[in-house]
Amino acid sequence: MSTLMVIDQPPYGTWAGREALDMAFSLAAFDQSVTLLFTGSGVNWLRMSQQPGGVEQKSLEKNLSAAPVFGVEAIYADAAACARYGLTVENMIAGVAIASSSELLPKYTHTAFAG
Amino acid sequence: MAADSLHNFTLVITGAPYSSQAPQTALSFARAALAKGHTLDRVFLYGDGVHLASALCAPPSDEPHWPAQWAAFLKDNAVPGVACIASALRRGLVNDAEQKRYELPACNLLEPFMIAGLGEWVEATMASSRVIYFHAGA
Amino acid sequence: MAPINTLHILNKAPEHPRSLACMSVLQSGDALLLTENAVLALAVNSIDPGVPVFALAPDLAARGLESGIQGASLVDYAGMVDLTTHAQKLINW
Repeated sequence: MSTLMVIDQPPYGTWAGREALDMAFSLAAFDQSVTLLFTGSGVNWLRMSQQPGGVEQKSLEKNLSAAPVFGVEAIYADAAACARYGLTVENMIAGVAIASSSELLPKYTHTAFAG
Repeated sequence: MAADSLHNFTLVITGAPYSSQAPQTALSFARAALAKGHTLDRVFLYGDGVHLASALCAPPSDEPHWPAQWAAFLKDNAVPGVACIASALRRGLVNDAEQKRYELPACNLLEPFMIAGLGEWVEATMASSRVIYFHAGA
Repeated sequence: MAPINTLHILNKAPEHPRSLACMSVLQSGDALLLTENAVLALAVNSIDPGVPVFALAPDLAARGLESGIQGASLVDYAGMVDLTTHAQKLINW
């Protein structure tokens, strides 16, 4: 049993990504193998220096930084989506590996999308 | 798990009634699965899907009442229906225990739905041979 | 029925980003089941995902598309259940 949680919705404008992150953290809390994949506009979760005070939300960047502590095995970002949104190792939060969605998806027994 | 044998399903509904088709597709699927002899371990409502467990939906009389139809299906077939507590509290869906805890003026959880944590979903991913998600389409 | 590795269940209209993503990861041995808004893909002439395609008949009928459909096998809800138990793995897009 290995789960890939896919977040393909952008941060702040929708709650689906937050709730998918809660799902990933829950799996990890129960010692279940879970990996996060950010793809499509969801890769914008991974941009450094998010300052959400003006939209009165908690920082998703901070939220996400708890992933390794909870026991999430890996965080991947889809290469094509990163290129599209101008995300590189220089402006992306630490601990994210670049991958291709189509190569990752077959590797997991259970795949769940954000909302 | 071998294909084509009898399976035990968990259905996860994340699309809300009256804003998505998810509750209808899921109910039609659930009825067909039971008719074929499969088992429904549970139905888990997550995100906007928790609105399906509201006792206060009052659609026009010529539209299907999805919360009522789901509640009747769950009762008739003794299938547990669980709304995620975090999703539910954010969206104003509470049972009497949560009403007391947060000192709210009312509770509105439709029987036989229950409120529980994401652990119910985690257990489903371990115990059920098939977990199917009914998201909102677009 | 031929074996299915991953059954991709898609309920998004053809222009939805998740629809495009789904189409781009289909592999030999997989199958695609179109439900809800995704059946509109069959009104688009160019659909050729390279894997067996199934479509939920009530969703086609609701949208006035049930007759003359090419490129997909129609299933009812019972057939959808069979597909989900026949496949080794499911992805709900």
